Amino acid sequence: MGESLNRAATPELLHYRPWRGEFRTPAASIWPIARVALTSIFQKWMFWIIYILGLLIFLLFFFGQYLLSWAETQAGETDVQLGGWGRMNPRHLIALFRGFLKLDGSAESYRSFFAYQGYIVMIVLALAGSILIGNDLRFGSLPYYLSKPLSRWHYLLGKGLAVAVFINLMTTLPAIVLFAQWGVLESWEYLFERFDLLLGILGYGLVLTVTLTVLLLATATWLRRTVPLIMMWTTLFFFCRLLSAAMVDGLRFSPRWRLIDLWNSTSLIGAACLGLDLETIRPGNQPPWYEAALVLGGVSLLCLTYLIRRIRGVEIVR
Amino acid sequence: MLQWEGLIWCAAQGENMGQSEANDRRTTIDLRNLSRWYGEFQALCDVTFQLAPGRVGLLGPNGAGKSSLLKILLGLLSPSSGTGHVLGHPIGVEGTALRRAIGYMPEADALVPGLRGADYVALAGELYGMSRREAQRRAHEVLTYLELEDARYRRLEEYSTGMKQRLKLAQALVHDPPLLLLDEPTSGLDPAGREAMLRLLLTLGRDHNKSILLSTHLLGDVERVCDSVLILHKGRLLLQGGVAELCRRRQDRYRLQIQGDATAFREELRLEGVQVLHDNGRGELRVAVPSQWVTRAFFTLADNHRVLLRGLQPDDEDLEELFHRVLKDQT
Repeated sequence: MGESLNRAATPELLHYRPWRGEFRTPAASIWPIARVALTSIFQKWMFWIIYILGLLIFLLFFFGQYLLSWAETQAGETDVQLGGWGRMNPRHLIALFRGFLKLDGSAESYRSFFAYQGYIVMIVLALAGSILIGNDLRFGSLPYYLSKPLSRWHYLLGKGLAVAVFINLMTTLPAIVLFAQWGVLESWEYLFERFDLLLGILGYGLVLTVTLTVLLLATATWLRRTVPLIMMWTTLFFFCRLLSAAMVDGLRFSPRWRLIDLWNSTSLIGAACLGLDLETIRPGNQPPWYEAALVLGGVSLLCLTYLIRRIRGVEIVR
Repeated sequence: MLQWEGLIWCAAQGENMGQSEANDRRTTIDLRNLSRWYGEFQALCDVTFQLAPGRVGLLGPNGAGKSSLLKILLGLLSPSSGTGHVLGHPIGVEGTALRRAIGYMPEADALVPGLRGADYVALAGELYGMSRREAQRRAHEVLTYLELEDARYRRLEEYSTGMKQRLKLAQALVHDPPLLLLDEPTSGLDPAGREAMLRLLLTLGRDHNKSILLSTHLLGDVERVCDSVLILHKGRLLLQGGVAELCRRRQDRYRLQIQGDATAFREELRLEGVQVLHDNGRGELRVAVPSQWVTRAFFTLADNHRVLLRGLQPDDEDLEELFHRVLKDQT
């Protein structure tokens, strides 16, 4: 380097050139932060495997709907033999399948899709948390971001956007595709008549996005590494679920104890967004959705407060 | 605050400071009575100085307040009292605008794992507010200028320490800021890499009109790059002045090797105003001479006292020794 930077030997190309241009608003830095975070995630082959696994669930719903719809067009009026169980009208059989598998374009089917897809999302997020934000604290990338003309809000929004894109790529977007598919397969009128379902899907997606994004950012900032993060998420979403079930279903405590299960709370609000009755939710004996919303709101607020205190520009210069 | 002749830009006190607007045009940094408290602890105490465009070294031992000053200059921390402007932007008010006008090179690695060199610098450009295309174009230009052209598609984890330092400089330069805040830019570099980095900084400052505030504990770096220096100690501005003038204020020192009975010779030196700094007992002395001292006087005195002067070598006080001497005098 010493010799090569000798001014006498430096070719013309290596001369410093000034730059004159217009700067954009700090808000424009949100997307680059999100883009880099998403790139970091998708550089890992493991996430592709989990994403493809998540897509398999979507494909199961997609082709399930398609096959049942196709089968309905092929079915005649003649009853068919069901092994040794007697005969049955194929249309009734298809309707039975649709109801059982929740592949009927109803609110139940979207809730079911969100529930299955949500498990995959949680696994991915637990693994991605350290890459998304934990590494910035572990490897000192935070000074790089915060020494630029942006506030910690821009930084958090950028990271949050990356998480949100990922969550919605796995849940809301496929659910909208399923909604559109049902409209194409069954009737175009479905798209307009059940527009409330589309809003419900967007609402459910929003609840998942906000809750999981804020929780992930806070826990990843706190724990930084993947293994402690997975343990924390397992505690939050698995052990709390077991504990709440034991208290409400086993010890017959108040249904409000289910509120310690955050995943159950998101499901409750999601179900409310899709217009489902409390009675249709399993396990039964659930608290009202607005109490769940209060809990999730409180937890999110707590996480945001922690994040704002933790992500501080003054840590740039040690 | 200690001042001396040859001061590049001298801070006048109190009422005579004048209004900032006129000064803003010719000053990069203008701080007045700036203090910062962390609870009971005062990190900066009534710091006042003005800096003209140029290359300035910020020196001080650990806990001197350098970091707090940098945080305030970057708009990340508000002063507890006092006011200041950086390139005309009031500090503590326009943090975003401030950081846009400054290129900051942190001491820590501050790398984003997984990125390639070109992406890292381009991302910095985007974060500064450049469009993606412009940021990418500029990133390649800056990396070429800093001799990282061949390494620009390597992942950051594969960069050597010297390359990382240049990469950090690249991300600070990408938006062509008028002011660079550099925190220990030669940290971890080998002598060749250090020399190259210092030459680069000198070129940027001298030939491309970048104002540089170089925070370091290596006084040699300041001597090599800067034309003025600020010395902080215990949150106070201890010294402000030109490096050249500071160097002229060094004590002239010599290393003498003598043979024979040195007692009378030493006494004679003392009477002539020469200070014996060190005597290793084996005929080697380190002495500080008064101004106007002529070297021939050593030989005359040695001859008078029948001492053989076997060696005479100038051994001037370096900036570090001067720094500590000033600290000692002040405290």
